[in-house]
Amino acid sequence: QRIRSQNIVPCTVSQLLAAEQVDETFRIRDVEISQVTIMGIIRHAEKAPTNILYKVDDMTAAPMDVRQWVDTDEAGGENVVVPPGTYVKVAGHLRSFQNKKSLVAFKIMPLENMNEFTTHILEIVNAHMILRKNLTSASRLPQSFSSAGIGDVGGYGGGGSLPVNGLTAHQSQVLNLIKNCSVPEGMSLQELKLQLHNMSMSTIKQAVEFLSSEGHIYSTVDDDHYKSTDAE
Amino acid sequence: MADIGEVPRPRIATGHLAQHIGQPVCFVGRVEKIHPTGKLFVLSDGEGKHTTVELSEPLDEEISGVLEVVGRVTNQATIMCMSYVQFREDKSPFDLELYNEALKIIHEFPEYFPFG
Repeated sequence: QRIRSQNIVPCTVSQLLAAEQVDETFRIRDVEISQVTIMGIIRHAEKAPTNILYKVDDMTAAPMDVRQWVDTDEAGGENVVVPPGTYVKVAGHLRSFQNKKSLVAFKIMPLENMNEFTTHILEIVNAHMILRKNLTSASRLPQSFSSAGIGDVGGYGGGGSLPVNGLTAHQSQVLNLIKNCSVPEGMSLQELKLQLHNMSMSTIKQAVEFLSSEGHIYSTVDDDHYKSTDAE
Repeated sequence: MADIGEVPRPRIATGHLAQHIGQPVCFVGRVEKIHPTGKLFVLSDGEGKHTTVELSEPLDEEISGVLEVVGRVTNQATIMCMSYVQFREDKSPFDLELYNEALKIIHEFPEYFPFG
Protein backbone atom coordinates (compact mmCIF):
# COMPACT_ATOMS: atom_id res chain seq x y z
CA GLN A 1 0.00 0.00 0.00
CA ARG A 2 1.76 3.12 -1.17
CA ILE A 3 0.70 6.38 0.33
CA ARG A 4 2.38 9.36 -1.24
CA SER A 5 2.42 12.88 0.05
CA GLN A 6 1.86 15.11 -2.96
CA ASN A 7 2.92 18.14 -1.08
CA ILE A 8 6.08 19.71 0.17
CA VAL A 9 6.43 18.73 3.82
CA PRO A 10 8.04 20.95 6.47
CA CYS A 11 10.40 18.85 8.59
CA THR A 12 13.04 18.99 11.25
CA VAL A 13 16.51 17.71 10.41
CA SER A 14 15.95 15.00 13.02
CA GLN A 15 12.85 13.78 11.16
CA LEU A 16 14.76 13.64 7.89
CA LEU A 17 17.58 11.69 9.50
CA ALA A 18 15.06 9.24 10.94
CA ALA A 19 13.15 8.79 7.67
CA GLU A 20 13.24 5.20 6.46
CA GLN A 21 14.56 4.51 3.04
CA VAL A 22 13.04 1.79 0.87
CA ASP A 23 14.79 1.57 -2.53
CA GLU A 24 14.58 5.04 -3.99
CA THR A 25 11.91 6.41 -1.66
CA PHE A 26 11.84 7.82 1.84
CA ARG A 27 9.07 7.45 4.37
CA ILE A 28 8.14 9.29 7.52
CA ARG A 29 5.40 7.40 9.32
CA ASP A 30 4.81 5.29 6.22
CA VAL A 31 4.08 8.31 4.07
CA GLU A 32 6.42 8.77 1.13
CA ILE A 33 8.13 12.10 1.24
CA SER A 34 10.35 13.69 -1.30
CA GLN A 35 10.10 17.46 -1.33
CA VAL A 36 10.69 18.98 2.06
CA THR A 37 11.40 22.31 3.68
CA ILE A 38 13.69 22.91 6.62
CA MET A 39 14.66 26.12 8.43
CA GLY A 40 17.91 26.62 10.20
CA ILE A 41 21.06 28.61 10.50
CA ILE A 42 23.97 28.22 8.10
CA ARG A 43 26.98 26.98 9.99
CA HIS A 44 29.26 26.44 7.06
CA ALA A 45 29.33 27.29 3.36
CA GLU A 46 31.72 25.91 0.80
CA LYS A 47 31.72 26.94 -2.82
CA ALA A 48 32.85 24.47 -5.50
CA PRO A 49 32.78 24.99 -9.29
CA THR A 50 29.46 23.19 -9.78
CA ASN A 51 27.76 23.48 -6.40
CA ILE A 52 27.63 25.20 -3.04
CA LEU A 53 27.62 22.94 0.01
CA TYR A 54 25.99 24.34 3.13
CA LYS A 55 25.61 22.88 6.58
CA VAL A 56 22.22 23.94 7.96
CA ASP A 57 21.50 23.62 11.68
CA ASP A 58 18.01 23.65 13.21
CA MET A 59 19.11 22.44 16.67
CA THR A 60 17.22 19.13 16.41
CA ALA A 61 20.33 17.17 15.37
CA ALA A 62 23.74 17.73 13.81
CA PRO A 63 23.70 20.23 10.91
CA MET A 64 22.47 18.79 7.61
CA ASP A 65 24.36 18.89 4.33
CA VAL A 66 22.48 20.96 1.80
CA ARG A 67 23.76 21.07 -1.74
CA GLN A 68 22.75 23.73 -4.22
CA TRP A 69 23.78 23.16 -7.83
CA VAL A 70 25.28 26.18 -9.51
CA ASP A 71 24.26 27.18 -13.02
CA THR A 72 27.70 27.21 -14.63
CA ASP A 73 26.45 29.10 -17.69
CA GLU A 74 25.54 32.05 -15.59
CA ALA A 75 28.24 34.56 -14.75
CA GLY A 76 27.89 35.20 -11.03
CA GLY A 77 24.68 36.79 -9.68
CA GLU A 78 22.36 33.82 -9.55
CA ASN A 79 24.16 31.73 -6.98
CA VAL A 80 25.59 34.00 -4.35
CA VAL A 81 26.86 32.14 -1.31
CA VAL A 82 24.70 32.81 1.76
CA PRO A 83 27.04 33.60 4.65
CA PRO A 84 27.28 31.46 7.80
CA GLY A 85 25.24 32.88 10.66
CA THR A 86 22.23 33.50 8.40
CA TYR A 87 18.88 31.87 9.12
CA VAL A 88 17.45 30.34 5.93
CA LYS A 89 14.50 28.44 4.58
CA VAL A 90 15.54 25.54 2.38
CA ALA A 91 13.22 23.76 -0.06
CA GLY A 92 14.64 20.63 -1.61
CA HIS A 93 14.67 16.89 -2.17
CA LEU A 94 15.87 14.38 0.37
CA ARG A 95 18.73 12.21 -0.77
CA SER A 96 20.84 9.46 0.74
CA PHE A 97 24.31 8.41 -0.38
CA GLN A 98 26.34 5.75 1.41
CA ASN A 99 23.88 5.94 4.28
CA LYS A 100 24.31 9.64 4.74
CA LYS A 101 21.30 11.86 4.24
CA SER A 102 21.44 15.24 2.60
CA LEU A 103 19.24 17.70 0.78
CA VAL A 104 19.49 18.91 -2.78
CA ALA A 105 18.03 22.39 -2.60
CA PHE A 106 16.02 24.05 -5.34
CA LYS A 107 15.56 27.12 -3.21
CA ILE A 108 17.49 28.71 -0.36
CA MET A 109 16.08 31.95 1.01
CA PRO A 110 17.45 34.00 3.90
CA LEU A 111 14.74 34.75 6.44
CA GLU A 112 13.95 38.42 6.65
CA ASN A 113 11.35 38.01 9.36
CA MET A 114 12.25 35.64 12.18
CA ASN A 115 8.58 35.16 13.01
CA GLU A 116 8.54 32.89 9.94
CA PHE A 117 10.73 30.59 11.97
CA THR A 118 8.12 30.38 14.72
CA THR A 119 5.47 29.66 12.07
CA HIS A 120 7.64 26.92 10.57
CA ILE A 121 7.87 25.20 13.96
CA LEU A 122 4.08 25.17 14.21
CA GLU A 123 3.69 24.02 10.59
CA ILE A 124 5.97 21.06 11.24
CA VAL A 125 3.90 19.86 14.17
CA ASN A 126 0.69 20.44 12.20
CA ALA A 127 1.88 18.67 9.05
CA HIS A 128 3.21 15.61 10.82
CA MET A 129 0.15 15.36 12.99
CA ILE A 130 -2.04 15.40 9.86
CA LEU A 131 0.19 12.86 8.09
CA ARG A 132 -0.25 10.54 11.07
CA LYS A 133 -4.01 11.15 11.20
CA ASN A 134 -4.45 10.57 7.46
CA LEU A 135 -2.50 7.36 7.68
CA THR A 136 -4.77 5.88 10.32
CA SER A 137 -8.00 7.02 8.64
CA ALA A 138 -6.83 6.13 5.12
CA SER A 139 -6.34 2.51 6.12
CA ARG A 140 -10.07 2.26 6.86
CA LEU A 141 -11.18 3.68 3.50
CA PRO A 142 -10.64 1.14 0.71
CA GLN A 143 -13.83 -0.99 0.69
CA SER A 144 -16.14 1.64 2.06
CA PHE A 145 -18.84 3.27 -0.07
CA SER A 146 -19.50 6.00 2.43
CA SER A 147 -18.39 9.47 1.50
CA ALA A 148 -18.53 10.78 5.02
CA GLY A 149 -15.12 11.76 6.33
CA ILE A 150 -13.45 11.55 2.93
CA GLY A 151 -13.36 15.31 2.84
CA ASP A 152 -11.16 15.25 5.95
CA VAL A 153 -8.46 13.12 4.38
CA GLY A 154 -5.47 14.85 2.85
CA GLY A 155 -6.53 18.35 3.78
CA TYR A 156 -2.94 19.53 4.19
CA GLY A 157 -1.64 21.68 1.37
CA GLY A 158 -5.00 21.88 -0.33
CA GLY A 159 -3.68 19.72 -3.12
CA GLY A 160 -6.15 16.88 -2.86
CA SER A 161 -6.61 13.57 -1.14
CA LEU A 162 -3.78 11.23 -0.30
CA PRO A 163 -4.16 8.29 -2.65
CA VAL A 164 -4.68 4.80 -1.25
CA ASN A 165 -3.53 1.85 -3.39
CA GLY A 166 -2.52 4.50 -5.92
CA LEU A 167 -6.19 5.50 -6.24
CA THR A 168 -7.95 8.51 -4.76
CA ALA A 169 -11.11 8.03 -2.73
CA HIS A 170 -13.33 8.96 -5.72
CA GLN A 171 -11.56 6.53 -8.02
CA SER A 172 -11.83 3.75 -5.43
CA GLN A 173 -15.56 4.27 -5.03
CA VAL A 174 -16.17 4.18 -8.80
CA LEU A 175 -14.01 1.10 -9.21
CA ASN A 176 -15.75 -0.76 -6.41
CA LEU A 177 -19.19 -0.12 -7.92
CA ILE A 178 -18.03 -1.31 -11.34
CA LYS A 179 -16.39 -4.41 -9.82
CA ASN A 180 -19.58 -5.37 -8.02
CA CYS A 181 -21.78 -5.01 -11.10
CA SER A 182 -22.78 -8.41 -12.48
CA VAL A 183 -24.66 -7.22 -15.59
CA PRO A 184 -22.97 -8.51 -18.82
CA GLU A 185 -22.60 -5.09 -20.46
CA GLY A 186 -21.16 -3.68 -17.24
CA MET A 187 -21.99 -0.49 -15.38
CA SER A 188 -23.15 2.63 -17.16
CA LEU A 189 -22.12 6.19 -16.33
CA GLN A 190 -25.76 7.00 -15.63
CA GLU A 191 -25.97 4.14 -13.14
CA LEU A 192 -22.78 5.37 -11.45
CA LYS A 193 -24.25 8.87 -11.17
CA LEU A 194 -27.41 7.45 -9.58
CA GLN A 195 -25.42 5.56 -6.96
CA LEU A 196 -22.86 8.25 -6.25
CA HIS A 197 -25.11 11.15 -5.27
CA ASN A 198 -22.30 13.42 -4.10
CA MET A 199 -20.15 13.08 -7.19
CA SER A 200 -20.66 15.25 -10.24
CA MET A 201 -20.80 13.61 -13.68
CA SER A 202 -17.51 15.25 -14.64
CA THR A 203 -15.81 13.82 -11.53
CA ILE A 204 -17.18 10.39 -12.37
CA LYS A 205 -16.00 10.69 -15.98
CA GLN A 206 -12.53 11.74 -14.82
CA ALA A 207 -12.36 8.76 -12.51
CA VAL A 208 -13.52 6.40 -15.25
CA GLU A 209 -10.95 7.82 -17.66
CA PHE A 210 -8.18 7.31 -15.14
CA LEU A 211 -9.24 3.80 -14.18
CA SER A 212 -9.53 2.86 -17.83
CA SER A 213 -6.09 4.21 -18.73
CA GLU A 214 -4.62 2.30 -15.76
CA GLY A 215 -6.24 -0.90 -16.93
CA HIS A 216 -8.62 -1.41 -14.00
CA ILE A 217 -11.72 -1.22 -16.23
CA TYR A 218 -12.59 -1.52 -19.92
CA SER A 219 -15.47 -0.24 -22.02
CA THR A 220 -17.98 -2.77 -23.35
CA VAL A 221 -20.94 -1.98 -25.65
CA ASP A 222 -20.03 1.73 -25.83
CA ASP A 223 -18.02 4.43 -24.03
CA ASP A 224 -20.72 4.71 -21.39
CA HIS A 225 -20.47 1.12 -20.13
CA TYR A 226 -17.58 -0.38 -18.21
CA LYS A 227 -16.55 -3.66 -16.62
CA SER A 228 -13.72 -4.41 -14.23
CA THR A 229 -10.64 -6.24 -15.54
CA ASP A 230 -10.44 -8.14 -12.22
CA ALA A 231 -11.99 -11.57 -12.84
CA GLU A 232 -14.65 -11.98 -10.13
CA MET B 1 34.02 17.33 25.06
CA ALA B 2 32.04 16.69 21.88
CA ASP B 3 31.18 19.72 19.81
CA ILE B 4 27.86 20.95 21.17
CA GLY B 5 26.86 21.98 17.65
CA GLU B 6 26.67 18.35 16.57
CA VAL B 7 24.12 17.15 19.12
CA PRO B 8 20.41 17.88 19.59
CA ARG B 9 19.82 21.09 21.58
CA PRO B 10 16.22 21.22 22.81
CA ARG B 11 14.57 24.62 22.60
CA ILE B 12 13.58 25.66 26.10
CA ALA B 13 12.20 28.53 28.14
CA THR B 14 13.30 29.58 31.64
CA GLY B 15 10.80 27.19 33.23
CA HIS B 16 12.53 24.19 31.62
CA LEU B 17 16.03 24.88 32.90
CA ALA B 18 15.69 22.68 35.98
CA GLN B 19 14.81 19.63 33.83
CA HIS B 20 17.89 20.10 31.64
CA ILE B 21 20.73 20.49 34.15
CA GLY B 22 23.98 19.41 32.51
CA GLN B 23 22.42 19.20 29.06
CA PRO B 24 22.90 21.16 25.84
CA VAL B 25 20.00 23.50 25.11
CA CYS B 26 18.93 26.33 22.85
CA PHE B 27 17.43 29.39 24.53
CA VAL B 28 15.87 32.38 22.82
CA GLY B 29 15.29 35.54 24.84
CA ARG B 30 15.49 39.32 24.98
CA VAL B 31 18.54 41.03 26.45
CA GLU B 32 17.61 42.63 29.78
CA LYS B 33 20.96 43.47 31.30
CA ILE B 34 24.65 42.91 30.75
CA HIS B 35 27.14 42.62 33.60
CA PRO B 36 29.97 45.24 33.48
CA THR B 37 32.55 42.47 33.15
CA GLY B 38 30.86 41.34 29.95
CA LYS B 39 30.97 37.74 31.13
CA LEU B 40 27.38 37.53 32.18
CA PHE B 41 24.05 38.72 30.80
CA VAL B 42 20.37 38.21 31.53
CA LEU B 43 17.73 37.26 28.96
CA SER B 44 13.97 37.22 29.44
CA ASP B 45 11.82 34.56 27.76
CA GLY B 46 8.37 34.92 26.22
CA GLU B 47 6.77 34.83 29.67
CA GLY B 48 9.09 37.51 31.00
CA LYS B 49 11.06 35.04 33.15
CA HIS B 50 14.78 35.66 33.42
CA THR B 51 17.67 33.36 32.61
CA THR B 52 21.30 34.13 33.35
CA VAL B 53 23.80 33.38 30.61
CA GLU B 54 27.50 33.04 31.37
CA LEU B 55 30.42 33.31 28.99
CA SER B 56 33.92 31.87 29.25
CA GLU B 57 35.31 34.94 27.47
CA PRO B 58 33.88 38.45 27.90
CA LEU B 59 31.64 39.81 25.14
CA ASP B 60 33.59 41.53 22.39
CA GLU B 61 30.57 43.34 20.94
CA GLU B 62 27.39 45.13 21.95
CA ILE B 63 24.40 42.84 22.23
CA SER B 64 20.75 43.86 22.32
CA GLY B 65 17.33 42.67 21.24
CA VAL B 66 16.58 38.98 20.82
CA LEU B 67 19.38 36.47 21.15
CA GLU B 68 19.43 32.74 20.45
CA VAL B 69 21.93 31.12 22.80
CA VAL B 70 23.32 27.60 22.49
CA GLY B 71 24.96 26.24 25.63
CA ARG B 72 24.88 23.82 28.52
CA VAL B 73 22.73 24.23 31.62
CA THR B 74 24.85 24.54 34.77
CA ASN B 75 24.03 23.14 38.23
CA GLN B 76 22.91 26.62 39.21
CA ALA B 77 20.37 26.57 36.34
CA THR B 78 22.24 29.21 34.39
CA ILE B 79 23.39 28.64 30.82
CA MET B 80 27.09 28.37 29.98
CA CYS B 81 27.03 29.88 26.51
CA MET B 82 28.96 28.23 23.68
CA SER B 83 27.62 30.41 20.87
CA TYR B 84 24.89 32.94 20.21
CA VAL B 85 23.25 34.73 17.32
CA GLN B 86 21.18 37.84 17.26
CA PHE B 87 17.74 37.49 15.60
CA ARG B 88 17.32 40.12 12.94
CA GLU B 89 14.59 42.61 13.71
CA ASP B 90 15.43 45.20 11.06
CA LYS B 91 12.28 44.44 9.04
CA SER B 92 9.91 43.11 11.73
CA PRO B 93 10.07 42.78 15.52
CA PHE B 94 10.30 39.21 16.77
CA ASP B 95 7.23 38.03 18.64
CA LEU B 96 8.82 36.33 21.64
CA GLU B 97 5.47 35.56 23.25
CA LEU B 98 4.36 33.65 20.14
CA TYR B 99 7.67 31.78 20.13
CA ASN B 100 6.96 30.80 23.73
CA GLU B 101 3.57 29.42 22.70
CA ALA B 102 5.29 27.41 19.95
CA LEU B 103 7.67 26.01 22.59
CA LYS B 104 4.71 24.80 24.60
CA ILE B 105 3.41 22.99 21.53
CA ILE B 106 6.69 21.27 20.72
CA HIS B 107 7.10 20.23 24.34
CA GLU B 108 3.58 18.82 24.31
CA PHE B 109 4.11 16.96 21.02
CA PRO B 110 7.73 15.75 20.99
CA GLU B 111 6.71 12.96 18.60
CA TYR B 112 6.05 15.57 15.91
CA PHE B 113 9.10 17.74 16.69
CA PRO B 114 11.82 15.40 17.93
CA PHE B 115 15.15 16.56 19.28
CA GLY B 116 17.51 13.77 18.34
